[in-house]
Amino acid sequence: MSPLTILLLVEAAAIGLILLGASPKKVSLVAAGTNFLLSLWIYAQFPAGVGGYHFVENHSWIALGGLPEIRYHVGVDGISLPLVLLTTLVTLAAIWVAPAKIKRASEFYSYLLLLSLGALGAFVSLDLFFFYAFHEFALIPTFLLIGIWGAENRQFVSLQLTLYLGLGSLVLLAGIIALLGVVPAEERTFDIPRLTDYLRENPLATSQQMLPFLLLAIGFGTLVSLFPFHSWAPFGYASAPASAAMLHAGVLKKFGLYGLLRVAMPLLPGGAEAWKPWILALLLGNILFIGLTTIAQKELPAMLGFSSVMHMGYLFLGLACWNALGVSGVVLLMVAHGLSAALLFAVAGEVRERAGEIRFAELGGLARRMPFVAVAFLVGSFASVGVPGLANFPGELLIFFGSWKSQPLLTAVVVWGIVISAVYQLRAVRAVFYGDLPQHLAETGDVEGVARIPYVLLMAALLILGIWPGTLLGVVGSGVKGFLSLN
Amino acid sequence: MAWLLLLAPLTSAFLVWVALRPYPRLSQAVSIAASGLAFLTALGIALGKVGAPAALSWVDLPGLRIEIGMTLDSLARLMLLMVTGVAFLIHVYSLGYMAEDPGRARFFGELSLFLASMIGIIVSTNFVMMYIFWELVGVSSYLLIGFWFEKNSAADAARKAFLANRVGDFGFLLGILTFWATCGTVAFDPGAARGLAGNWLAPVAALLLFCGCVGKSAQIPLHVWLPDAMEGPTPVSALIHAATMVAAGVYMLCRIFFVLELSPEALSVIAWTGGITALVAALIATQQNDIKRVLAYSTMSQLGYMVLAVGCASTTAAMFHLTTHGFFKALLFMGAGSVLHALHHEQDIWRMGGVGRKMPLTFVTFGIGAAALAGIPGLSGFFSKEEILQAAARNEPVLFWMAAFTAALTAFYMTRITLVAFLGKPRTKAAEHAKESPFVMGFPLIVLSVLAVIAGYSFFGIEHLLGGHEAEGKNPLVPMASLTAVLLGLTAGAITYGRANQERIAIPLFERKFYFDEIYDWTVLKLQEESARLLAWADQWIVGFVLVRGGAFVVSLGGEMLRLLQAGNLREYAFLFALGAGGILLLLFGR
Amino acid sequence: MGTPTLGHYLVLSGLLFAIGLAGVIVRRDLLIMYMCLEIMLNAANLSLVAFSRFSHQVRGQVLVFFVITVAAVEVAVGLALLVSLYRMKRTTKAEEITALKF
Repeated sequence: MSPLTILLLVEAAAIGLILLGASPKKVSLVAAGTNFLLSLWIYAQFPAGVGGYHFVENHSWIALGGLPEIRYHVGVDGISLPLVLLTTLVTLAAIWVAPAKIKRASEFYSYLLLLSLGALGAFVSLDLFFFYAFHEFALIPTFLLIGIWGAENRQFVSLQLTLYLGLGSLVLLAGIIALLGVVPAEERTFDIPRLTDYLRENPLATSQQMLPFLLLAIGFGTLVSLFPFHSWAPFGYASAPASAAMLHAGVLKKFGLYGLLRVAMPLLPGGAEAWKPWILALLLGNILFIGLTTIAQKELPAMLGFSSVMHMGYLFLGLACWNALGVSGVVLLMVAHGLSAALLFAVAGEVRERAGEIRFAELGGLARRMPFVAVAFLVGSFASVGVPGLANFPGELLIFFGSWKSQPLLTAVVVWGIVISAVYQLRAVRAVFYGDLPQHLAETGDVEGVARIPYVLLMAALLILGIWPGTLLGVVGSGVKGFLSLN
Repeated sequence: MAWLLLLAPLTSAFLVWVALRPYPRLSQAVSIAASGLAFLTALGIALGKVGAPAALSWVDLPGLRIEIGMTLDSLARLMLLMVTGVAFLIHVYSLGYMAEDPGRARFFGELSLFLASMIGIIVSTNFVMMYIFWELVGVSSYLLIGFWFEKNSAADAARKAFLANRVGDFGFLLGILTFWATCGTVAFDPGAARGLAGNWLAPVAALLLFCGCVGKSAQIPLHVWLPDAMEGPTPVSALIHAATMVAAGVYMLCRIFFVLELSPEALSVIAWTGGITALVAALIATQQNDIKRVLAYSTMSQLGYMVLAVGCASTTAAMFHLTTHGFFKALLFMGAGSVLHALHHEQDIWRMGGVGRKMPLTFVTFGIGAAALAGIPGLSGFFSKEEILQAAARNEPVLFWMAAFTAALTAFYMTRITLVAFLGKPRTKAAEHAKESPFVMGFPLIVLSVLAVIAGYSFFGIEHLLGGHEAEGKNPLVPMASLTAVLLGLTAGAITYGRANQERIAIPLFERKFYFDEIYDWTVLKLQEESARLLAWADQWIVGFVLVRGGAFVVSLGGEMLRLLQAGNLREYAFLFALGAGGILLLLFGR
Repeated sequence: MGTPTLGHYLVLSGLLFAIGLAGVIVRRDLLIMYMCLEIMLNAANLSLVAFSRFSHQVRGQVLVFFVITVAAVEVAVGLALLVSLYRMKRTTKAEEITALKF
């Protein structure tokens, strides 16, 4: 059995145990910890020099008349492995920072695990059906987590988020069907590697690629909050409980980018080329429009939500320019953004819980009362504004280098984003942690003891990848070369 | 071995950050040991005992190879010695200055981080490596300015500094990208730069790269952060905002001079930026009352001189002045710090007075520093400033006269603060009860004042390290002019402030710093703020409400209308269902 | 009269189906409507078996087994729902059960 299947089974088994009445937080922690170690082992065993998929498991699942056979086909290459690592690490951290005493605890932790299971499944699936289904599956716990445990305005927000993402997935499904529709009937398959090989040998006419790519781009784009399909994200994240925001913003959102990287761009290169001007124009919306919108936010979680939308602009830029430098940067930045977003949302959760306040105007001086949390927020902020030494920097840098040659002017505008993000992120640091400590916050306590471990894990990962991105770039490079044949 | 330069302070910063914060004494020991080790390594390098190690590959992708390596040429050696030496002294000085601060462990950790980043800039072998440490220097400067984060002014100043630097770095990064795209490498490789020669991109690349220097070295128009940065502890002002970090911009210009020299237009812009900065900052300095702010503006003015030198194609003069300025400006700041320490952080010179008698060591060393800065013959500042004036006289005569006038102003404002702060009668209780600072603070002052005196002479070897004297075209008019300027400034200062107990000249334009802060408040900040608010509104109401909720509204309206068909009668449904099914059958098979 | 042909079976099946449909539409009692549904199902079954018999294929009959099984399950669930509905509302008249409509 492939270790990837074991990853999925561990989480499923943990959910089962919790439903049978085991202590929810302990069981989920053990499961997430096991998975994290297991994924580290997979990473250690991964033959970086060899392209192609590894740890493959492939057997028939169901064959319906008229439809291509659906297979349970999992495996990782250099592109998906970093995302698997990201998922297991963020899952561990998200479960760790979740409060043990929460209403309906067993449901809460089951949903967190389900969310993580869906994301993991989507990243390791090499079958279009499972790829789609796993992600769709993860949307349900997202809805419930926000709807039941969310903060202000949770019912409206969770409904909006679910409808929006559901609609996005529907467009995505239409895109997948349209894609299979333009492939000759005898070659139709859900199998991503086979489809890739076939379409590389026999590229479709550009006119045939236009519609499927448009649908896929809108579908995936909605899931990654491409401007202007982003309205679900900021307030969804602002309202979600910290763990859910960590898992969704950090991990599940990357599914859309992964889909573009794995399906839309390599299978429909002609369509990608044709629609590129549109994507470039829209990503400017992410960087400039949303960047400035972020500056105007008055509450911490909403600001983080908008900033997470803004940062997607860099990733779209790297994808749109489609060369080895940019795509390596995209994979790196996906991981880095996942880690930093998770760290920042975790801190926002602590602030909300401990200070009982999220408005900038009412906060201040918390670094004195919670030095550890302040350090975590500073590290997350520096990562997010692209300071060297933390993982986001090499990712952004590679994307800029990748896009400069073909799009210098646009890249120059996008690089201005590093100033915009510094403006809002440091404003948040200033408003929440620096300056005068208001009277009503004088008793706020810090995170102590083992509860610090998840923060330390995330910070350590950001530091390691930032100081030595080569650790991951070797693996990513094998994927980029093997899968995308980019040079 | 040479890696110790980077690793020692980095390890120290990491250890303090992770484990040692609860133990201030241990943190201090580790941090000082690290800076000492870095200084010894730099000495070893300068003496040729330690060589450059093999470079490590940081990113190796098709078309882009970024290395972490070490350049240890004469330029780097000189800068390393100056930086690590001054840094070591300031570490020692901080022992005394920060002795009572509860957060001093953190302070020393951040100092170590700064030192490591600064060394990284100096030894960089390529643009990206320099950019990495360049940004890290910005981060440590942010942390150190905001060291007393509970003070609102310090927190704001830290942010301002980071943002102004970011704007500069934006240009710097674009310059790096331009260079890479044209020359195919990011290495400091004069050979590869030939790809730029004659290309219209040459001035573009040069000026974009220069943006980095404008931010870091506080040149107009990105200078507004430097005076505010004085909110940090005084050792920080001495180390970062006088001697080393702000000089990094000038060092960078010298390092990438092979790009700048391809474009005379760019050089001329650089020279004018430097000259204007020097003059404007000196004018502002004459009307400031905060002793640290006067020094800050004088730093800005001296940096303007250095940039002017680079613009006049004389990197030797720029580096020479950078080094001597590093010594005497660190000395001045630490002297000022010693006074502040004694006066319980009173910074207004009009609330001092007569301190010289109570603190003789501080007074004498400060006086030496002030004289060196003013350019009194025989001290180091005279020699290095002279080199710059020579270069200016050769290339840009107008700028030469501006620079000479600036020299007069420099002498004037240095006379002013020395007279007002140290002589006369004590004007406050605190000034009356001032006591000399402890020896850990006095010792660095002595060492630096010796350096400030001798660093200009050729036996000290700075010019030797830089590869020889520039003998060509010495203009005999230059020393005359600069001497006259210094004498005029000194006399004017002495006459105006000899026995003054209050300000005798009031020029609001200078006092309010040419209204730069106000102009920025009204333009950049307001503009950004308003557009942010407008876009947030648009996002919420146009994208969020009209498009998204409008779409939802249309759908639900359709639902409401169709609902009228659903009367809730089961049999009616069945009838309609059968009718529909029959209709479909008819359609399919009816023909 | 010879042996019955496919046509005979299909006519019978169609009649049964029409009766069932009419019942579902006309009657008001849920229980009766339910029984009429069953008649419609069995009409379909009959045609399936007939087709299967006359085209010499076993598939249709297999499908009928499925339908019978599923129908049995459906009856069980449906009747259970009916009983609990009756307990709540004290009625099985279709017009009076409109809780889904608000």
